[in-house]
Amino acid sequence: MKMSLTVNGTRHEVDVRPTARLIDVLRDELGLTGTKEGCGEGECGACTVLVDGKAVASCLMLALQACGKEVTTVEGLAHGGELSLLQRQFIAHGAVQCGFCTPGMLMSAQALLMENPTPSADEIRTALAGNLCRCTGYSAIIAAIRAASGREADRADGSA
Amino acid sequence: MAVREARTMAVAVPTTRDDLVVALGRATTDTRIIAGGTDLVRSLRVPGDEPDLLISLGGLRGLSYVRLDGATVRVGATTTFTELQHDPVLREHGLCLALAASTIGSAQIRNVGTVGGNIANASPCADSAPALVALGADVTTVDGAGHTATRPLSEVVLGPYHTSLACDEAIVEFSFPALGPTQRTAFTKIGSRTAVTVARLTCAIVARFDAASGILEEVRVGLGAVGAVAFRVPEVEEALRGQRADAEAAALLAEGCVRAIGRSIPDRPTLPYKQHAAVGLAYDTWNALGLCPPCAPAAHDDRPEEVA
Repeated sequence: MKMSLTVNGTRHEVDVRPTARLIDVLRDELGLTGTKEGCGEGECGACTVLVDGKAVASCLMLALQACGKEVTTVEGLAHGGELSLLQRQFIAHGAVQCGFCTPGMLMSAQALLMENPTPSADEIRTALAGNLCRCTGYSAIIAAIRAASGREADRADGSA
Repeated sequence: MAVREARTMAVAVPTTRDDLVVALGRATTDTRIIAGGTDLVRSLRVPGDEPDLLISLGGLRGLSYVRLDGATVRVGATTTFTELQHDPVLREHGLCLALAASTIGSAQIRNVGTVGGNIANASPCADSAPALVALGADVTTVDGAGHTATRPLSEVVLGPYHTSLACDEAIVEFSFPALGPTQRTAFTKIGSRTAVTVARLTCAIVARFDAASGILEEVRVGLGAVGAVAFRVPEVEEALRGQRADAEAAALLAEGCVRAIGRSIPDRPTLPYKQHAAVGLAYDTWNALGLCPPCAPAAHDDRPEEVA
């Protein structure tokens, strides 16, 4: 089945089976391997991407459901070779250990900040409820998102 | 409408109601209708279980809405849980459904999952089901011949993952009487954790209350995840009608829910747990109605064997 997907601002034509999931197309057809598959059941959030600005589990969405919509993956956060403020704050706060959950964490956080630029810690926890981290815990991740939101200006731009 | 053949599977993405009828007209028992897909996508990956025709409702913008139509609330089938959670009409006139939507999965699931899919999938632990049951919701469908039909939710969901929907029939709308200022509603859920959890027990209540006399005029109770389908509890509803809204009413509610669960799943290994949990959940739901000062179960209420 031929379909057209717009990912990170670029339109792609792909020919895949109708039941191909969005994550399959992103990783296997477009080579965007930043999006990870953990559980494959929508429980872990590692596969989170944005569709029309909303966080979705790309393992539970068919690619054809994303046709005509704007898909943003973790590769779309950096611009001109420079990481986004959110990504820089994850690094600055040590919010990454093995890194497998990080793309999903970043995309859930990005969706939150687009909708609510100054979320409270509780709002961040709610937004990340669908993202599991098995290494580092959540405190550093929440601190990084708060810093990126400007809630903790003293920690902005890497001075954790 | 795009209809594209792919190997042996056809895909239809209707964008209008007329297109939907045409697509449904081609449906067989091997056809699958996909809305959000958060339940269906996993089963589509089972080898050899691919549908002959996949009808995606994602292109039907006109099926995503919540609106007040006179004294009736109408909810389009492809309205997502995120939309339900925040919809001002629903929060004013059918709050328990908005609250149920807010407990479903994660933000990622709520952004995609739809109320129509939740009911058509017919999971016994579907979170929206007890809320729709308590609201007295009807389900409107359209079929491949273009016929529209409306029937109570209880006539649509018949058992675990089993509905009365024909293979060429799609849910297009839910409707229920709008709750007014004399009515209160609440929804509570118990799962193994606070988020992204399958319901172990859910409870929705709609209560009409006379503030002057403090009397409950009508109560509707929906229980979920404690049987094949979500169900009303007429015994409790009868017992509470005309009762003063106080701690005694809360105790009647809890005892009635425990008995109803005993009848619903008498042989289930989880029965003792569910009856035990139901006491706390009934009190939580009652207290969320805000009809009287918060109350708690007496110690003996906490032992299900005494009230089973």
